[in-house]
Amino acid sequence: MTEEPRRPAGDMIEHLAPVLSLGTRIRAVTALLAGAAGLVFVSALWWSEPGPLPGRTHLGFALFTVFCLAWAVYGGWLLTRRVPLFATDRVIAAWIGLAASLATTALVAVVAVRRGTGAELALAAGGLFVAVALVPVVRAHRRRAALLRRMRELTGGEDR
Amino acid sequence: MTDELLVIRAQLGERGALPELLAGWRMPVWTYVRRMLDADRADDVSQEVWLAVVRGLPRLREPGRFAPWLFTIARRSVTDRLRDEYARAVETTGYGDIAGAGVTEGITEDPVETMVDRAALVSVLSALPVLEREILVLFYLEDLPVEECAYVCRIPAGTVKSRLNRARRLLREHLLPEHLLPEHLGEKGHMR
Repeated sequence: MTEEPRRPAGDMIEHLAPVLSLGTRIRAVTALLAGAAGLVFVSALWWSEPGPLPGRTHLGFALFTVFCLAWAVYGGWLLTRRVPLFATDRVIAAWIGLAASLATTALVAVVAVRRGTGAELALAAGGLFVAVALVPVVRAHRRRAALLRRMRELTGGEDR
Repeated sequence: MTDELLVIRAQLGERGALPELLAGWRMPVWTYVRRMLDADRADDVSQEVWLAVVRGLPRLREPGRFAPWLFTIARRSVTDRLRDEYARAVETTGYGDIAGAGVTEGITEDPVETMVDRAALVSVLSALPVLEREILVLFYLEDLPVEECAYVCRIPAGTVKSRLNRARRLLREHLLPEHLLPEHLGEKGHMR
């Protein structure tokens, strides 16, 4: 029973470092947000285009939409399956998401007002985007609060 | 510090908690993997297990049940490597498991349990079929209670008991001739 792992503990932690690195998590959050924001922005522009559009323009918008959707799905997959986002990271990421959704909504609304077309539709799409972004904010805060509460119970009420 | 507290700290994102958790559970994970697989694969599979643990840790809903969750992940990696062996074992021992599913009493006392030590157990484990080996490792070497063994192996507690009884019969066949060690008299705890 003297057999031991050949790989030292330090090596194991080193192998985990890329998964835990801040850069990886920032990339994942950026991919999700950029994809989702781009999706809302391009979709709003597409729908608010005045008059009938030529087939090529429709194709261009559709390709852009799919491109953004792909980035959003990739970012979501990274965050849920590949990159661990711990409770505090989730709170930060959720607020970044909310800020990005507000900025996208504002941008889409400004563009729509300047063009004088579809401002209501742009605001509705943006509002929906913001509402969806609020859900992870609430969930992340609840989850973190539950963990902190349990930690206080286990440590006998000591504050962190 | 309890494991639950350590897991919660890690789930909150505290940098120091994860290496601490890894330090505490590295050997139990490696022991399980090594007892199930050969030495060449044990390190790589252990690494794979820890990668899955780190990725899945934020989603662990019950930090107090870290150990069974951890071994469920480790078992998944091991069964991926031993798919053929598991398939054969289920085919050949399936009837015994069904019969054992109704077992509600404690695990049958067996003199083997009081006569062997951990080293003797480890020395013959590799000769046992995969299902019996797995249950012995989880119950005796990893100290998991029957309910947690059942959770990890996704089988009823009665099946765990019947497998343990069968595993100990096999152990007795392998051990009695050369490993009768009366000086190691004791209960389950003495085998660790």
